[in-house]
Amino acid sequence: MSNNALDIEVLNKADSTLTQITQAVARLEKGEPVSRLSIGLSSSATVELFGLYLRKYGLLSGTHITIHQGNFDDPIGDVDLFLGAGVDYVIMLPFLDTLMPSFEAQVECLPPDLLVEKEVELRNRYRIAFEKARSIKTIFLGSFHRLEYVIDVAGTDAVASVIARFNQALREEASAFPNVRMLDTEDVVRTVGHTAAFDARFYFRSKAPYTGVYFNELARRVAAATRGFGAYFYKALVLDCDNTLWGGVIGEDLMAGIKLGPYDYPGNIFWRMQHEFAALERNGILLCLCSKNNSEDVDEVFQSHPEMVLKSSQVVVKKVNWNDKPSNLRELALELNVGLDSMVFLDDSSFECEAVRQQLPMVKTIQVPATLSEYPRVVREIKELFIAGGISADSRDKTEQYRQRANAVALQAQYESQDAYLASLEMKVELSCNAAASVTRISELTMKSNQFNLTTRRYSEAEVITLMQSIDTVVYSLIVSDKFGKAGLTGVVFMRYMDGAAQIENFLMSCRVIGRGVETAIWSQIASNAAQSGCATLRATFIPTAKNAQVADFYERLGLELLKTSADGTKHYSITLASFTPPQTPWIELTYVE
Amino acid sequence: MLNEAALKQVIATMLNVDQSAIDQDASMDTILTWDSLRHMNLVLALEEEFKVSIPDEDAGNITSYKLIKLVLEELLQAK
Repeated sequence: MSNNALDIEVLNKADSTLTQITQAVARLEKGEPVSRLSIGLSSSATVELFGLYLRKYGLLSGTHITIHQGNFDDPIGDVDLFLGAGVDYVIMLPFLDTLMPSFEAQVECLPPDLLVEKEVELRNRYRIAFEKARSIKTIFLGSFHRLEYVIDVAGTDAVASVIARFNQALREEASAFPNVRMLDTEDVVRTVGHTAAFDARFYFRSKAPYTGVYFNELARRVAAATRGFGAYFYKALVLDCDNTLWGGVIGEDLMAGIKLGPYDYPGNIFWRMQHEFAALERNGILLCLCSKNNSEDVDEVFQSHPEMVLKSSQVVVKKVNWNDKPSNLRELALELNVGLDSMVFLDDSSFECEAVRQQLPMVKTIQVPATLSEYPRVVREIKELFIAGGISADSRDKTEQYRQRANAVALQAQYESQDAYLASLEMKVELSCNAAASVTRISELTMKSNQFNLTTRRYSEAEVITLMQSIDTVVYSLIVSDKFGKAGLTGVVFMRYMDGAAQIENFLMSCRVIGRGVETAIWSQIASNAAQSGCATLRATFIPTAKNAQVADFYERLGLELLKTSADGTKHYSITLASFTPPQTPWIELTYVE
Repeated sequence: MLNEAALKQVIATMLNVDQSAIDQDASMDTILTWDSLRHMNLVLALEEEFKVSIPDEDAGNITSYKLIKLVLEELLQAK
């Protein structure tokens, strides 16, 4: 086997380890892909590992996938980010328990009004994100699921009703946008099992609730929903007859001898599968027959067998003759005017399957399993190939159903713009100067923050105290809150006054509050303080690291002028305080505590 | 006995660095790509590779080669 084939085998095996998958993905991505695409991930949980599994399923379809990670809990800002990066798909995974800290535990005691407000806020947030993302091919929006087991055996506790309500809200908002599709994450948890899906250790530490097992199944579903990231588009299902539509061989067992019917084994399996095929036909899939038989024998079963489910009218073309199957499939493709690569072929004979696989590798060939109880699983996989990518809307009434948004909450959720939405959050920023009581938290934040950190200078508690006490340095800290609660002390600015200039020694923020204007809201106050202390200019430095690329142009956005860029990438900025006008954030109420 | 070659391979793979970068003094401070997110995946990969379950209090703290080795050796001896 070639190295590539070995790596593909690693990706296909269910028990490959994370190390093996990581290695196989890295090696395969060094090769030449059939195609490339990029995916933006936006979540209110830590979902870094999901990227690996998306890349895995991409490689299994011949596609190299580049992942763009969004910020924490910022779908609107993330869409801006993703539009800039030109992503093909966006996957949004809102997470229930972080809607508010330990939301699931809080729900039972929350006042109903607050839940209504939260729902309104959710609707607005996602609607604005979807509005911005109209040009993106597909946005997958994960539904909410619970983190904890249901204690109430009837499954009707407060969490269940909030999930039902919020998921309904998400579905309604999504239905207005043809490029938004829901991902049922509750079913992913069900499928892999609650115990296998979550790892509590990293949830409380890093807000990372999920295991690789969960991400693997979710990525598999995304691959199915995108038809292998655009690798296939199946239109026709070509069915053998004997031991595929019924048990036994019509030419030998005759009408009375073949197994087919609702009650008796094994005829009940074939009868059930025929219902599945009929349902596919109902959804617009072309059904064909390709069988080595006398055509009149097969016709007779279709016409006269009392338990036959499929009707002749549901079959577009029948190739029932003694020609070899690859020839018949070629003819079918011509008659239907579809490519061979849009056909799925189902047959019980390993000989026939092998012949088709060898001569027509572009046809998706699937064998009826020898163990008949496995047949429903195989047909489920076939259905997934056809249906998971979406079916034409007119054969379903669901979409319309979701469009009918009659309830009062939906009406209440009619904000006009992003600004109005932001205003509705009632954001408050409390900016404190040299807050001695917060020294521990300030020092800790400088040690931990990597992404939104302009110079990545770290400060011990003693250093912070010294800077607070010194006459020519100021330590600002900020506490962010909105109508749903406090996010705590989540940002720090270190200023140094020297020779008439105010130098921003460092500015850093925790990722969980980025993207709503907080990062620019504080600067008018800081600038006016600097002016009062006798400074005429504002200076700043950006020092690049492996992790802080997201703020590489922060000072440009703040309105500073770039003076020069050093050889190591360090950027130096300056502006006179008189002409400094940071972006306005009227939706944020800033209070200043001296 | 702990297979150190396997240990180095897992660490290098999960931190996306060359195996030669993983020496006895390797730690979150010396390896640029060793951040808290990769660390999480590293712990999961170590558990799979050595078929152990790393307790909660250790999982977040084993941020150097020596500490990982120490904890794994203890867990393997206890098996």
